[in-house]
Amino acid sequence: MKRRPEKVRLGFNMAKPNPPLISLEGVTKKYPIGLSDFYQALNGIDLNINEGEFVAIMGPSGSGKSTLMHILGALDTVTEGKQFFKGKNISSYSEDHLAEIRNKEIGFIFQFFNLLPRMTVFKNVERPMLYGGVPVSERKKRVMDALKIVGIADKAENLSNHISGGQIQRVATARALIMNPSIILADEPTGNLDTKTAHEIMDILTKLNQQGRTIVIITHEDDIANYAKRKIKIVDGKIVSDYGT
Amino acid sequence: MELKETIRSAIQALRMNILRSSLTMLGIIIGITAVILISSVGQGAVAFISNELTSFGTNFFSINPGNNMMSAITGGDEPLTTNDIEAIKNANIQNIDTIAAFSYTSKLISAGEESIRVSVYGMTPEAQELLKPDLIYGELLTENDSNNRVVVLGSDVVENLFGPDTNPVGESVKIDDIRFVVIGVSKSGGSLFGSFFNTAVNIPLDTLQNQITGSDDIAEIDISVKNTDLLNETMDEVEWVLRDHRNIADDEEIDFLMQSFTAALDTFKTITNLLTVFITGISAISLVVGGVGVMNIMLVSVTERTKEIGLLKAIGAKRKDILSQFLIESAVMTTIGGCVGIILGVGGTYLISIVANIPFIVSVPWILLAVGISVLVGIVFGLYPARKAAGLHPIDALRFE
Repeated sequence: MKRRPEKVRLGFNMAKPNPPLISLEGVTKKYPIGLSDFYQALNGIDLNINEGEFVAIMGPSGSGKSTLMHILGALDTVTEGKQFFKGKNISSYSEDHLAEIRNKEIGFIFQFFNLLPRMTVFKNVERPMLYGGVPVSERKKRVMDALKIVGIADKAENLSNHISGGQIQRVATARALIMNPSIILADEPTGNLDTKTAHEIMDILTKLNQQGRTIVIITHEDDIANYAKRKIKIVDGKIVSDYGT
Repeated sequence: MELKETIRSAIQALRMNILRSSLTMLGIIIGITAVILISSVGQGAVAFISNELTSFGTNFFSINPGNNMMSAITGGDEPLTTNDIEAIKNANIQNIDTIAAFSYTSKLISAGEESIRVSVYGMTPEAQELLKPDLIYGELLTENDSNNRVVVLGSDVVENLFGPDTNPVGESVKIDDIRFVVIGVSKSGGSLFGSFFNTAVNIPLDTLQNQITGSDDIAEIDISVKNTDLLNETMDEVEWVLRDHRNIADDEEIDFLMQSFTAALDTFKTITNLLTVFITGISAISLVVGGVGVMNIMLVSVTERTKEIGLLKAIGAKRKDILSQFLIESAVMTTIGGCVGIILGVGGTYLISIVANIPFIVSVPWILLAVGISVLVGIVFGLYPARKAAGLHPIDALRFE
């Protein structure tokens, strides 16, 4: 095969900077109410999330923070504006294409209904790999490694409805890690937990961030948000403050 | 997602609601049980009748008066007589081996103080030979007994008149106040005609005609042939002889019924097959009802597990993953139902074969068909709920309360 000649660069040899991991440009999200009315959850959001960041998105109930997380997590598409993932405009991607991005690039931790009922911890953590086509030979090791990271390897064969709330969130964190995603999105991950357990979960997320993983959490609790390096406040679908960028 | 994992996941989902799954399977179980039972028992019955008919031989045909089965039994408008037999004999049809005939009437028979009403058969020795009775005591009727007052008693008749395990040969009985000498005791050979010989008494045909009924009517003429391959041709020839003898024009319908056992066997098989298909069709309705039940439960399941579907979509399940998961769940449910139905159907067939004394035949193609139908019912009736699940938007599903 004939090699293409290298381009001769003139002037300074400047490396092109990596694009933001997630970028939103003028994003609005409207939900229809009845036939003619709509509810505007997001209103002209411009936001970049860069690799390695630990971001907390805060705001009162109904401020649009959960909608924002859904858009960031490719669970939903924008009504207006553009959403980029690793520099690619995914605004018009098909549902299956978005599912592939969610599977390979994004790990989710939800507040409620995080695990498949009456399935073992192992099966729950393994599940994203089944959709991602990870060969069976790799799966067991990866599940056990992820469970070790969150300190719950001994519960692998327990049923998901036979473990505590804190343990459920640890399992959910292990599942979020299993595909080695670019970003972990956590929607009120400690909202259902007592203070001690909540801080244990946040310690795990902090550790993961220190290892270079990008983390975005949605919370309305200041002490939880304090774990993040960057805090974004959203009110009525608009970003009103963005500290720590 | 791998098929093995999807099936495992489906079985797990069904186990979560074991009672509900079992009740849903009931329609499929009943449908498949009915299909297997009817087809297998039908085949067993055909095999049984075939064996019975074949044991009588396929080398002869019968002629009865009247042109349908009913008039064949009641005698028809224009009876067959000894003259008809003479006409056939005189035609010298090459392929005819023997011509047998019998007639019957119901009479009171008595011995000493005991008396019972029985069917009295007037038989030619050839007819007796054709019906193959088992001789217990004495001998059967012969040419030499013509017009004599001799009788061969059925085994049940002997028991009623003389008591059990008695040899009445040489004793005398009265039929219609005429004294007959007992020369033998017989019972039925085959089981097709049940206790035909056990409950009847046989006397020579001309004795019956001349001394009891006073008429030369004949209930049935049986003609055996030398070459079975030419059976149909011989039947045609006999028909033309009888048409001529009974003055029936070519374009007129005949007033007698000609049947060979081969034809009867074919007719019986056709009727049984038609009945089997018909009843199997009715059983299929149960499968449709079962299928609707499956669809209903799958729709309930989709609603109940909406949040689960949302979670699966969030972690990367594509449309086809959710679709196949619910489809396989529905197909696994109907297939398990089908397998239970097959076990019950085969078990039921075995019991019926013992009780009814027919061969135990299990048709492998029907079983394969039953499995195929079970899977198909699951897929067809699971498709709508599965499509509904697959089409859910992840956010709507996650937010579902």
